Amino acid sequence: MRKIFLIIAFFTAIVSNVPGQGLGGPGTVKDDGKLAASTKQLNQFFRRFNGEESIDGTVRFYPEDSLYRNVPLRKGFLNVLFDNQTSGVSPDLKNQFIQTVLSETYPHYLNFHREGWYAEVETVFLYKGKREKATLIMKIQAEGLGFEWVIDKVIFQPFKDLFSKPTGDKKDFLHPLSHELGFMNLRRAFQNSDLPESFTANSYEPDYLAIFLYEMKQNNLRFETVSGLKFHFFQIQGWYFEVNQFNRPGFNTGWLISNLVRLGPGDKETILKYIYDQK
Amino acid sequence: MKNKLILFLGLFLSASLAVMAQDNISPARKQAIDSLALEKVKDLSKYISIIGSKETQFSEANRVMDRAEELFAPDAEMGVSSINTQEIAYYKVRRYFERLMALNYDRVNITWYDIQYISDLERQPDGRYVGVITVYQRFEGTSIETGMNYKDTTKKDITIYVEKKQTQIAGRTIEFWDVMLGDVRVTETAA
Repeated sequence: MRKIFLIIAFFTAIVSNVPGQGLGGPGTVKDDGKLAASTKQLNQFFRRFNGEESIDGTVRFYPEDSLYRNVPLRKGFLNVLFDNQTSGVSPDLKNQFIQTVLSETYPHYLNFHREGWYAEVETVFLYKGKREKATLIMKIQAEGLGFEWVIDKVIFQPFKDLFSKPTGDKKDFLHPLSHELGFMNLRRAFQNSDLPESFTANSYEPDYLAIFLYEMKQNNLRFETVSGLKFHFFQIQGWYFEVNQFNRPGFNTGWLISNLVRLGPGDKETILKYIYDQK
Repeated sequence: MKNKLILFLGLFLSASLAVMAQDNISPARKQAIDSLALEKVKDLSKYISIIGSKETQFSEANRVMDRAEELFAPDAEMGVSSINTQEIAYYKVRRYFERLMALNYDRVNITWYDIQYISDLERQPDGRYVGVITVYQRFEGTSIETGMNYKDTTKKDITIYVEKKQTQIAGRTIEFWDVMLGDVRVTETAA
């Protein structure tokens, strides 16, 4: 009950602060508070998460400001940074997460420049005359005088279909004495096999990004458009969360946490494997 | 010898700090840049309202389009998506304005919400800074013949590039911060 009151009070504070903003020209439309409440940019998600801006978002707080990373301010923000309408994050798990983040002894913050967060970008490419979806996993890296987004991995179904290496006694193989024949049987292996990947080591994993770039250089792949975006965060120790953009009526909109997982041993690797979907 | 070494190290350190300080934008400087960037965004919003208005003469709309184009870095694009499809349609800035001017309504009213959001400035590999300003636009178009009235609210995320430049005034070199607009992401909102 107290929590609902707190959230309402927080939204009211956002709404009552609206007149201070605006393009200021004549005929300006007054926001009823919904746009002010919305987490409009991922940058605002970072600032709200860390408690580094005023409730209405008009003032950026710096380390010398008294309200910089203020705990009650952060608590208010964290409560409204979750998708409270469609995602299945339980209130209990959410509270545990907020307690971890606001820990008095070891508070946690997000850092734009630090590794441990990824963008998952849904794109459309033309591949051999057909529109195909490609998912780019991107991350921030330092370069030159600043930073840049770079492609870490690509998930592209036509390439995945291309590599389906059989295993065990069902696969083609080069027999263990092939070396005695100077590997002359490579000719039969490669000519007769539709699955040349059969002759690779167990540890072999195709580098889809290399093939993707090669096909682009050969003009076989042409970028069409972006069709979706979400973010994955592993920066809070022991936790994973996903941030999605919610474009809908109401106050609970913009970039919000849509999925939250408490990580046990090995869970991070499992989730990363799932995100990368490279196998 | 030892004193000389300390002096040299001290000089080297202070020089490095001076360079670092130059590279970082102080909160006060950031606020000044924000104001400058916001002025450009206000100009853009004013120009969009004029270009879209059916009361604007063709020649005047073209003149305003020229002014609006000057706000943007070369090759800037508008990326537009709607509620129905998240896929982005790309337009060159000029083409976007021309499409806006040619919309088939008898009355068009473009207004702006009294809210905006200004991101932090991040440094790119080339040393320039980049930021994003978010504003919201309300569009109302009326067709007298069909009596159709169309309304939408779009979110506009506008890239700003910030660069330190130099100019000569009366033989003196003056440094100043210049702001250019870049790509704009236009999203139809459900608000």
